[in-house]
Amino acid sequence: MTEENNQDPEVDLDAKLEEMMLNLRLPDPADLQDEIDGITSSEALAEFEKKHLGKGSSIAGEMRNLGRLPQDQRREAGRRINEVRQAVQGRVNERQEALTVQERAASMAAEGIDVTVDHRQIPIGSLHLIQQVIDEVSDIFTGLGYHVADGPEAELAWYNFDALNTPPDHPGRLESDTMYLDYGKPEDEMLLRAHTSPVQARYMEQNPPPVYIVSPGRAYRNDTIDASHLPVFFQIEGLAVDENIKFSDLKGTLEEFARQFFAPDTVVRLRPHYFPFTEPSAEVDVSCFNCDRGESSCRVCGGSGWLEMLGCGMVDPAVFEAVGYDPDAVTGFAFGMGVERLAMVRHGIDSIRHFIDNDLRFLEQFQG
Amino acid sequence: MRVSLRWLQDYIDLPTEDPAEIGRAFDMLGHAVEETETFRADWTSVVIGKVLTVDGIPNADKVRVTTVDVGEAEPYQIICGAWNFDAGAIVPVALPGAVLPGDFKIGSRTIRGVESHGMICSARELGLGEEADGIMVLADDAPIGEPFETLLELPDVVFDLEVTNNRPDVMGMVGVARELAAWFDVDYRPPVIELATVPGEPDLAITITAPDGCNRFTAREVRGVTIGPSPLWMQDRLRKAGVRSISNIVDVTNYVMMETGHPLHSFDADRIEGGVLDVRWSTPGETLETLDGSTIELTPEDLVIVDEAGPTSLAAVMGGARSEVSDATTRVLMEAASWNPPTVMYTSRRHDMRSEASARFERGVDPNLAVMADDRACQLLVAIAGGEVLESQIDIVANAFSPISIDLAVRDVERFLGEGFDAQRCAGLLRRLDLEVSATDETLTVIVPTYRRDLTRPVDLIEEIARLADFDTFDSTVPTGPVGGLTPDQVRTRRLQTALRGMGLSQAINLPFVSPEELAAFGGGIGEVVSVRNPLRDDQSKLRQSLLPGLLRNVRDNLNRGARSVGLYEMARVFYARPWADDGRVPDQPNRLAVAIAGPFGPAVLGRAAAAADAEVALGIVSAIADRMGVEIGRTAAQPPGFHPTRTAELDLNGQAVGYAGEVHPDVVADYEIDGRVAVVEMELAPLVAPVAAPLMAPVSNYPHVEFDLSFDVPPALAGGDLVDATVKASILLERADVFDDFVHPESGQRSIAVRYRLRAPDRTLEREDIDGQRDAMVAAAAALGGTLRGES
Repeated sequence: MTEENNQDPEVDLDAKLEEMMLNLRLPDPADLQDEIDGITSSEALAEFEKKHLGKGSSIAGEMRNLGRLPQDQRREAGRRINEVRQAVQGRVNERQEALTVQERAASMAAEGIDVTVDHRQIPIGSLHLIQQVIDEVSDIFTGLGYHVADGPEAELAWYNFDALNTPPDHPGRLESDTMYLDYGKPEDEMLLRAHTSPVQARYMEQNPPPVYIVSPGRAYRNDTIDASHLPVFFQIEGLAVDENIKFSDLKGTLEEFARQFFAPDTVVRLRPHYFPFTEPSAEVDVSCFNCDRGESSCRVCGGSGWLEMLGCGMVDPAVFEAVGYDPDAVTGFAFGMGVERLAMVRHGIDSIRHFIDNDLRFLEQFQG
Repeated sequence: MRVSLRWLQDYIDLPTEDPAEIGRAFDMLGHAVEETETFRADWTSVVIGKVLTVDGIPNADKVRVTTVDVGEAEPYQIICGAWNFDAGAIVPVALPGAVLPGDFKIGSRTIRGVESHGMICSARELGLGEEADGIMVLADDAPIGEPFETLLELPDVVFDLEVTNNRPDVMGMVGVARELAAWFDVDYRPPVIELATVPGEPDLAITITAPDGCNRFTAREVRGVTIGPSPLWMQDRLRKAGVRSISNIVDVTNYVMMETGHPLHSFDADRIEGGVLDVRWSTPGETLETLDGSTIELTPEDLVIVDEAGPTSLAAVMGGARSEVSDATTRVLMEAASWNPPTVMYTSRRHDMRSEASARFERGVDPNLAVMADDRACQLLVAIAGGEVLESQIDIVANAFSPISIDLAVRDVERFLGEGFDAQRCAGLLRRLDLEVSATDETLTVIVPTYRRDLTRPVDLIEEIARLADFDTFDSTVPTGPVGGLTPDQVRTRRLQTALRGMGLSQAINLPFVSPEELAAFGGGIGEVVSVRNPLRDDQSKLRQSLLPGLLRNVRDNLNRGARSVGLYEMARVFYARPWADDGRVPDQPNRLAVAIAGPFGPAVLGRAAAAADAEVALGIVSAIADRMGVEIGRTAAQPPGFHPTRTAELDLNGQAVGYAGEVHPDVVADYEIDGRVAVVEMELAPLVAPVAAPLMAPVSNYPHVEFDLSFDVPPALAGGDLVDATVKASILLERADVFDDFVHPESGQRSIAVRYRLRAPDRTLEREDIDGQRDAMVAAAAALGGTLRGES
């Protein structure tokens, strides 16, 4: 309740008398209250306000007549007219506030939407799953103090094979395995790198130890496309060379990687293997993140409990010699993994072909 | 390499028979177990029987009736459809009630009034082979009445090992036993060879005229051999090893190969033309008829064994049909030769003939095993096929191999493997491998036998020590680099990708191989093409010089799959046959960014799609990229190949041409069978992601702004962007300028551009005079270029 309203009862008798004495034709605000209460829309209230407070209203008329009143009555009449006007205005305003609340509520009720339906589509693209995995692995290793190194894909055979201690008659050099390019001098045999390891050789040529790098990128093999082979695929290789790198460092580093990438309780198993550029060499299994070791129905590991994930080893001294490092001064480890394999295992992808089909229905599934 | 546990136990007494434990040993030795297969008697109630009588059945000409002694009081009467036996044969008999593989139940029945109780079994019926024409005829000394499976080594476990390329020695059971002996620290025993010979020397002259392909050629002659099936125990072992049984002679060669790791070959000595054999390189035009009847063309890189009539065998890879043993063979030349591994590798791949033998020769068979393997084969041959071995052995050594000595510094072991590897421990581990080790505290001297040709350097021995120490016993430690992290370019590349993703674009990855036609579509080609010498397919022989062909294929494929709109980008290298700036020896291979968009681009509202992508979208994306990357990218109209001639801009960054944005040429769009326009951008990545100076803050004014519109008539020769730029540069108070209309009057052909300008002063509320002054300067700047004010508001 406003102040004016409170005054109403006491104004009543005196005001009436005075009005009569002044002969003013003014409405009694109290008499209008019922009409105001009956108004149910802002529009109707505006009409009401115009009628009683607008230019054609009795209040406005009396205000205009004020000048014609005798000097001594003018002040009192003015006060009186204002009083009535304010009282009416107050009641109108009060009603308006109520109506605003009602009308906003009605309007909100009317404009409700079904929040379960998409009426607008805001497109968002996706990073290729391969890129997501590369970024994720790179981030894990930059966190361990590694840099991310890059190098040419059209590469000299020397960096791809010879610098990495690959024998001249290694089957990997056959045209059935490796793609060769017609470019350059005959003595600089050119190929599409079969792994990203040449980046390591180049990096060591250009940077003194210590070296801590990972090198993600494309690798090429002369493989026909099927569910598990692509002629172009992605690898991430890592290299650490320092004064005191030991086999346990290799093991611990891969364990740390696997725990960050797969699951915190992942166990890593190294098994001896053979690679020309490392010795000792190992294949690395990680414990299945999908089952409790050896559920034969596990669709990730098939029941073995292990997932063969990558190859690794201590850098062969011959590699250090090829790049100009002193094998008596430094040791190192290297590892390499297939990005597609990481993605396929972790996301249950059934065919490697998905990675080059660029089907939006596949790409957009992985929003990372 | 398939290793039967029961067979293996001929050479080693293992401390365990638990397949899991043995499997782990193989895994941790580096011979990964790819599969473990269990063999059991897959039948019940099959016993050894002796056929007593065989008689015909009246009116039945396909079956006979037999009586068979199965060790019970009365013989069984059994009808049999096989004809490969007579009375007296020892056979497997499924008694009534027996269940054979495939849940095949055997009972009693009556055929043409003759009762039959049980069945005489073929190999196939027992799941032991493919032979179904006749029943199995067993050795005469098989114990009658005993369960048939007692003749076989059952149950058994077969480990299928993945043997790495450097370990020929593990391609034989003896070598496998040696590995397990080292792991479990027990002894192993090679087969005992006791060869009885008769005086005589082979009536053959053998020469090696290609010593660069053949290390050693060893052979014996065995006379009076009777060819036939090999005994059940040998067939059983070969079956588990994954080798098909052929005949006793051939089976012996395979058996000894599986046992010793040294492949052998058996010639019919009577079919060697002229009694001479020579090992030489093939000559052009020569051919060889192989066992399966096909003829292969030989090349001068193929090593062949020839007699007077020409090639009779492709050395190490496949025997020829001409001198192969046959049913008529009685005189066998049992050859154990070893070959140059690369020769075998090339030949077996060239002719697509991979075999158990080539798998061993490629790894490098130890020539010093030849005599032992040859003698072992002759010993077994005589034992199962009769005959006699001539005393004199042919043995031509073209290249001698001797044990080598390696000095290993103990300190180096600890450098690689960590603490805990003193001389004594290292020597102990190496001795387990049958290596001869003499040790001081600092150095081990190790004599390596010729069957371990993978051990040539100290580091090779370090690996052996690590292997036998068990990789599982090593600690885990994590070294960290001194400083890590992404370079500014790498950070900015990621930022760029985030921006592209925010524009609704998805990243694509394509193969870099294109056809000459695809290359030419975007102006690639001429002179600077890098070609693949050995492409997967002839139409994929070139390396791409644009990312757009791949993206256009992706656009088409996605539209065909029902996508309404496609927005893709790719970041990858393109290739040019010119020196790369970073290393002139390799071809130039810059990284590119390309974008391709077709169909509605932008937010859609309830069925109402956004406008289709076109050149203006491409240009808008370039502007957005420039904003996000904090660079200025300039644009001029251009007509590069493959692009729409009137809707394409050349892009420049810091004065350097960096690519194009616009639409694909309608002809190219049609070539790709795409309906509608394709908006594309292709630009060099390096300048885009190169670091930029950190921007200094521009003042943010709190005073009110003023907006007004100007529209200009633009003469045909004037680029709209130049006009807008001129007006922008003319005002010092301009905050932004947005073109909101650009149209050509349909009748007069006059083009007009309307721009909304926003002015704001850093330090005051703008007055009328300020605004007029700025406006006049802008109009004057436009006029200087020929743009006349058409109207304002």
